Amino acid sequence: MNFTDKVVLVTGASRGIGAAIARAFAAEGASVAVNYLQNAEAAEAVVAACTEAGGDASSFRADVTDSDAVPALVDDVLETFGKIDVLVNNAFRPYKFDPENRRMFWELDWSHYQAQIDGALRSAHGLCKAVLPDMRRRAEGAIVNIATDLVARPTIPYHDYTTAKAALIGFSRNLAVETGPLGIRVNCVAPGLVYPTEGSKDTRESVKDMITAQTPLGRIATPEDITGPVLFLASPWSGFMTGQTLYVDGGLVMS
Amino acid sequence: MIEKAGYLPGLADDAVDWQTLRFGGNDNPLEIAVPVLTDAQMKALAGRVRAASRERLKSLTLAQIIGIIDAAVARLLDRSDPVRRKAEEILPIVTGYDAEMIRLGLTGYLKTFRKSELQKFAAEDFANPLILDDFQPMPKGGFARAFGPDVLAHIWAGNVPGLPVWSLVSGLLVKAGNIGKVPSAEPLFAGWFAQVLSEVAPGIADCFAVVWWKGGDTDREEALLRESDAVLAYGGNESLAAIRDRVPVTTRFLPYGHKVSFGAISRTALDTRKAKDTAHQAAYDVIRYDQQGCYSPHVFFVERGGRVSPGDFAQYLAHELDTFEKKYPRRALSISEARDIAAWRHGEEVRSFAGENRGLIGNPDNAWSVAFVDGDEDLSPSGLNRTIKVVTVDALSDIVPRIAPYKRLLQTVGIAAPPAELYSLSAALGRAGVTRICALGHMTAPEAGWHHDGRFNLLDLVTITEIERSAETAADTYAPYAD
Amino acid sequence: MTQDDIIEMLLAFIAADDERSDIRTQTSEDTFNDVALRLFAYQFENNKPFRRFSIQRGRTPRTARSWRDIPAVPINAFKELTLSCCAPEDAARVFMTSGTTLGGRRGKSYHANLSVYDASMIRGFKEYFMADRDRIDMGILFPTESIMPNSSLAHYLALALAHFGTPDSGYMMQDDGIAFDHLFAALDRAQESGTPYALLGASYSYVPLLDEMHRRGLAFTLPEGSRLFDTGGFKGQSRELGLDEFYDQLAAGFGVPREKCTNMYGMTELSTQFYDRGNATCPSVKSGPHWIRSRVINPLTGEDVPFGETGVLVHCDLAHFNIVSTILTEDAGVETEDGFLLLGRADGAEARGCSMAVEEFLKAARA
Repeated sequence: MNFTDKVVLVTGASRGIGAAIARAFAAEGASVAVNYLQNAEAAEAVVAACTEAGGDASSFRADVTDSDAVPALVDDVLETFGKIDVLVNNAFRPYKFDPENRRMFWELDWSHYQAQIDGALRSAHGLCKAVLPDMRRRAEGAIVNIATDLVARPTIPYHDYTTAKAALIGFSRNLAVETGPLGIRVNCVAPGLVYPTEGSKDTRESVKDMITAQTPLGRIATPEDITGPVLFLASPWSGFMTGQTLYVDGGLVMS
Repeated sequence: MIEKAGYLPGLADDAVDWQTLRFGGNDNPLEIAVPVLTDAQMKALAGRVRAASRERLKSLTLAQIIGIIDAAVARLLDRSDPVRRKAEEILPIVTGYDAEMIRLGLTGYLKTFRKSELQKFAAEDFANPLILDDFQPMPKGGFARAFGPDVLAHIWAGNVPGLPVWSLVSGLLVKAGNIGKVPSAEPLFAGWFAQVLSEVAPGIADCFAVVWWKGGDTDREEALLRESDAVLAYGGNESLAAIRDRVPVTTRFLPYGHKVSFGAISRTALDTRKAKDTAHQAAYDVIRYDQQGCYSPHVFFVERGGRVSPGDFAQYLAHELDTFEKKYPRRALSISEARDIAAWRHGEEVRSFAGENRGLIGNPDNAWSVAFVDGDEDLSPSGLNRTIKVVTVDALSDIVPRIAPYKRLLQTVGIAAPPAELYSLSAALGRAGVTRICALGHMTAPEAGWHHDGRFNLLDLVTITEIERSAETAADTYAPYAD
Repeated sequence: MTQDDIIEMLLAFIAADDERSDIRTQTSEDTFNDVALRLFAYQFENNKPFRRFSIQRGRTPRTARSWRDIPAVPINAFKELTLSCCAPEDAARVFMTSGTTLGGRRGKSYHANLSVYDASMIRGFKEYFMADRDRIDMGILFPTESIMPNSSLAHYLALALAHFGTPDSGYMMQDDGIAFDHLFAALDRAQESGTPYALLGASYSYVPLLDEMHRRGLAFTLPEGSRLFDTGGFKGQSRELGLDEFYDQLAAGFGVPREKCTNMYGMTELSTQFYDRGNATCPSVKSGPHWIRSRVINPLTGEDVPFGETGVLVHCDLAHFNIVSTILTEDAGVETEDGFLLLGRADGAEARGCSMAVEEFLKAARA
């Protein structure tokens, strides 16, 4: 898959899955806009890795949950790179995946749900809206939203997180129908547990073992495992696919 | 492989000079042998056609001729027929048009010449089509009969497959002897059609001929023109003017020049449900035969105020063109055709930076181009080969001043509008020079009996001979039974 | 980079000595790219319409990796847009095209200062036309700069005269055209003294000259080392001559072999010129010095056509620093081993079907 002369914006790309995605695009020749919220040093490291991998990259600080900051972020990227071919909505409000200490339903307020919805859905909404005019003018574009396999099968009920991601999938499908006739595709990638990331670095071995036992491919995903399907959905190889959700969890969920 | 073009009754193949035209490029090279007749041969051919049509064609009734054409068309509609199979195989190579487009186009087009449709041709031009067979009573009194020319010359142009059939059929219906000259861009179909006619009706096999000459060969052209009573010619204004100069003043000359067509889209066709289909129909009109027809749109005038804006419509149109590229890919372009599109695109691009409210949609890689203008702009020609401009109007009636300077160039308007507007706009468009108004999506498929450029397919070809009332009355006095 | 930085960089690049043997070939692609991309960044930064044009094409200096990635501006843009890095009113000189097109608008090239233009002209002229000589007796068949201040050719020829003409050189024009007597006297002197002579002018200037010589029954045999220079072609002039016919007539009229008749291919929209190595055969291969590169593209896709195929010429002229380096011409061409062949204007297509094409529409609409 060749991404030479393609520009990719990845949100939340200073670490974890986002960073892996950014590096993977760069390795295929893309120019990558590495968005981050706080960790400038980590973002610069990702930029350096991208350049070394054969692509080009630049870091862009912005809080994508802030509706005012998003248009400015997109403008910045357009000024630097000229266009945006691919948007990867990876950022979400930080979440602790802790099966033993998770909040049960009756311990959650609406504000917890709202926080996750703002993190995952509101940011995706704002970014999609901001990048669409450019994509519509060029009559092509690809949007990939990172969801979770917990939507199809909540092995652990992380109510607030998973509800927000479920909404993100519904959002993506509707957007896919609206933008299909404009040449723009919207798909989701739903990973399972990914290790190591900020959210999973403290996950117990026993939890990982339990998940592994139910996973046909017999292991937990690394961040790199998630990149292939994202690149696929951003490339012409998936040119006739839209509104889909790819489950990338070793077969734990089949949907 | 070598394919022979033309249809030359009474001339043996080895008596004629043949030239070779090459098509297809390196992938599927195709050679077509086209006949070059001497002056003497052309004269003899014309004589043969003239005599045969006088003897045999003119003694058939209109109904019989319709039956013959219907039988020939039935063969060509049959996909298993050898000539039809040959057409499906070879025409894509010759014209470059997508094979699917040609297959579907041929069937759609040939259906226009079935018996029921041919009856419409006749009824469209003649209140009483029997006038072609015998003297018929006239409303003014007396009788009239329509006689077709002894030799009707057709000078065809362009590469839209099947185009010659329209005028050939018209010529047959008026019982003319037809001699048609095929264009170098598509020299085969007319000859195939003639061949099939001769097979379904051997009796009239000598009543028509298909010839060729190299563009600019005025000697060959004059050899045919000299023998003709009427001349039908297709082409650009320059070539038509040149032909007209060579046609004797006593010979009827019927030119069909290049035209500009466009679309008109009301805001009622742009709600959130209908807009996509409207874009689909509009795109279809653009891609058919890569916009090479006189009926192909160059501009869509789109009304503001719908739920879907003209700008959005332009983007839907762009994507429709993109999907059509997969279904019916655009044919390979010559460097000068590519240059024309590039020049058009660059012009639009540069104007978009002068701060005007306009822009190009898509990117240079696309096998199509859409320009969008949010403001007043007159009709202008596109770069062809799937390049189209969308121009906004406040109301469809605003279109009229924008097309007014081009009255002599206008032909078809594809309309998407409600009934009241259809009729009121049509009146204004007709006054402005438009001759055909049809639905969006139908621009490239005229109905049987269509008045091409406002003319009469059959009526223009015939001469009406009338028996005045005075002759009738006078004859009565000489009758053996006169009182 | 500031304007001064750019000028310094370019003057150094133009003067670079490492390609002694052939002014054209040996600058490595890398060196050319390095200068080209820095110039692209400068023009992207300072030339606002060009910046918008590039972004519209999805290209920024970030994403350009070689000179081939720099978006080529179609030359008709010079009529519609003000393409200038400095404020237009600060330009030291404005060159304009002759404006024979519809609407009469003229393409404009704004030159912040002429130092780079002049350096480019001087080095190119020396290498291609002067070759072995430092100075030569020169006659100019074209008006002076003061008469045509917006003509790039007038400036070019003035430079030629100033830097390469001997004191016995001069303009051969008068109010109503060529000063025939003055010119013929100069040619006579050259013939008699055996001193080489160079005649420079627009191609179409030679036509009335040859006509007058024919009328007077004159022909010259200029001494060895004499050379002729023409530029511009005959399009739109009263009489068009085929190339072979033209050079044959020059050779016969002046006694200068066709190999010593050089044609210069230049345009108002560039700061550097192309030359051939004589016109023994036509069309002759054109090439330029190491600070200009050309490619032949499919005008629609912007992709290079395969080597040897016909396409439209794109030139990347690093000397054109105040405007845009890379332009898309309207000229058809073919790449060769050592340059390109100019095949004339890329003409519009005849409509294949009965749909009207642009040119026909314009003609019909005007009628």
